[in-house]
Amino acid sequence: MKLRQQQRRENLTGYLFILPQFLLFLLFIVYPILEGIRLSLYRVDYQNETFVGLDNYITLFQDPVFFKSIVNTVIFVVFIVILTVGFALFVASAVFDKNAKYVSFIRGSYYIPVMVSMVVMSMVWSFLLNPANGLISYFAREMDFSTVNLLGNKTTVMPVIIFVTFATNVGQAIILYIAAMIGVPKDLFEAAEVDGASRKDLIFKILIPLVKPTTIYILIINIIAVLKIFVVIQLLTGGGPNNASVTMMYYLYNNAFKYNQIGIASAVGVIMFIITLMLSVPQLRAMFKDK
Amino acid sequence: MVKKRVPALMLASVMALSVLAACGSKDSASGGSTGTGANGKENVEISLWLTPQWKGVFDASEPNADYDSFFKKAAEKFAQQYDKYNAKVKVQVVAGDQRDELLNVNLNGGTPPDIFFESVFAMGDYAHRGALVPLNDIVDDAAKKDIPANYWDSVTFGDNIYFYPFAHNPGTLAYNADMFRAAGLDSLIGGENEIKTWTMSEYEQILEALKTKLPKDKYPNAKPMALYGLNNQGDTWNLAYLRMFGNKFFDDKGNIVLDDANGVKAAEWLQKIYKNGYTNPGAESVSSNDANAMFQNQKLAISFTNAVLFNNAKADMNSGKAPKFDLRLANVPSASGDPLSFTYVVGSNVFNSGNEKKMEVAKDFVKFYSTDPELVKASKNSVPVRSSVASELKDQYPLFAAYDANSKYLFNLTGNVPGYSQLRQLLYPELQAIYIGEKTPAQAVKDYQSKGNGVIQKAKESSTVYKK
Repeated sequence: MKLRQQQRRENLTGYLFILPQFLLFLLFIVYPILEGIRLSLYRVDYQNETFVGLDNYITLFQDPVFFKSIVNTVIFVVFIVILTVGFALFVASAVFDKNAKYVSFIRGSYYIPVMVSMVVMSMVWSFLLNPANGLISYFAREMDFSTVNLLGNKTTVMPVIIFVTFATNVGQAIILYIAAMIGVPKDLFEAAEVDGASRKDLIFKILIPLVKPTTIYILIINIIAVLKIFVVIQLLTGGGPNNASVTMMYYLYNNAFKYNQIGIASAVGVIMFIITLMLSVPQLRAMFKDK
Repeated sequence: MVKKRVPALMLASVMALSVLAACGSKDSASGGSTGTGANGKENVEISLWLTPQWKGVFDASEPNADYDSFFKKAAEKFAQQYDKYNAKVKVQVVAGDQRDELLNVNLNGGTPPDIFFESVFAMGDYAHRGALVPLNDIVDDAAKKDIPANYWDSVTFGDNIYFYPFAHNPGTLAYNADMFRAAGLDSLIGGENEIKTWTMSEYEQILEALKTKLPKDKYPNAKPMALYGLNNQGDTWNLAYLRMFGNKFFDDKGNIVLDDANGVKAAEWLQKIYKNGYTNPGAESVSSNDANAMFQNQKLAISFTNAVLFNNAKADMNSGKAPKFDLRLANVPSASGDPLSFTYVVGSNVFNSGNEKKMEVAKDFVKFYSTDPELVKASKNSVPVRSSVASELKDQYPLFAAYDANSKYLFNLTGNVPGYSQLRQLLYPELQAIYIGEKTPAQAVKDYQSKGNGVIQKAKESSTVYKK
């Protein structure tokens, strides 16, 4: 009896310790999600809220721009994440076992764009790319090319945004990979070298499998980050030309803050939440299983 | 063991309680009044937002002239003579392209500004949404007499007045007369205080001469005319261009009727001048701000302007911020030969913040600066809506007469339709589609009309003005 009481008291202490964090979690994560789901079923005016059932979702699925935003978002996620992981693996596996100062230099150079605000980066790019008075179009004119407007062209606008986002994103992944690769026990490489393994074998058969948890982590955070891609779109293209670069987050933003369609914006939010959940659950499961 | 557990338990409880306490005590600082001042009157602080209009209290040449100078001065003067409360006004300048975002966030969060000073056409939606309070009680007969009826019409939604008119901003074209001379167009230059009206064929002749005859050494990379469609900023001129061949744009019931032969012809004309190099390149990703900057740097010979932009441009030239050139005004030409003339009334509205005291002070302040005989003279920076001010200042500002002569050609820009803010978001993607060749002008016009009428219809259903 006494033992059980003591155990209960110990449990209580434990719960009290997690209570502050749990309350914050409920207040700032769970409540907004529930409120978002609720709002997605309402039409919200300044003065009142009217229950409309699934009307907002029906409106969404009738809007071709919304489908365009889904397709664009998926393209961004696939290309940016593949580029980021591929390039970061390449750079990290090339330098991780070199001189420490050299490694620091490489790490630093790739990390600078990560430290610079995305807003600043986007503005610099927009100065460069502006068709009327930007540097790139100026040089194109000087070299007698016709007018270059990479952001005003449906076929080039997506690659440009992918490149800009990739360039600002990749530093983080390189840092994580280098840290993980430095942590791989040296004796494994030495043993493999004694067995006559080439550099290629070392990288593909030892290094990459051993940094798999890092790869999964980078995949998850990048997928989630790119799903929310917004700043570049807002500052560089405004979703244009003719909605060619509109993304789900930008579509949500427009509905919420420009058109004041809070219900529709919440519905987009719910759909994004479900997509993110579906994408991350298998990966998270894989990560935990490995451990 | 027990000794160890007690402090741990206490620590955990304190942490949990502190979180709860932090959640509970958040709203004691909000609300309009913050106690009583030394003179026994209650303190009331209100906020006023505005988009950039003119710099200085009355003139951009004043020291430290900025966009908020006028309202800071007005607030000071207001507080001195106000006997109901100790009024404090917080003035904030917000960018025009951020206005709707900021307002929507603050409206949904329950913290709208108390007063917004802006072009009425951009704010009409908020009246339809029931976010504004009627100002009928602060408009007296003297004001109704001094400000002509057409301005009152544009600020009246349903039965109520929602904006107190302060000035109006006629939109026209601006041109660089020096570039015209360099291209041999002397005969088509209007007078210094004239708003020149060209016929369509004269206008096309101008574009051609500016494209072919402008000396390349003096004006490298210069283009004839500004064209932009990145976002909704400056879309009023695009809307004017679409009326060039006689399209009415809205019918009597407030529906878009752009999709007819004249509307399509206008869209085709825009595509033609763009494709043939009569405008700046990349119109689909150039904003009106970019276009204005290019015009001020003499990379464009013709651009859009309104009264306040025109005065700001002149002030920039005089202060050496921008290169000096002979800047003049012209009307948007039309096929009928009559100028396409529009204006937007600039004025103040009061948001329904739910706080009676704040709304009372806000209304009193709006009335104060919109009627004070000295302060209303600041409307000279655009064009005064008050006949008394206009006639008093007409000798100093000869352009007032020219703007006045245009007034018989005015068209109603917005048709006062609900959902106008969202409507504005539909036009530029269609223009972009025309410029990048993704849609034919006819298709773009058709799509715009069907989408636009959908938006108007939906907004009508939820408009508080229509419900009454």
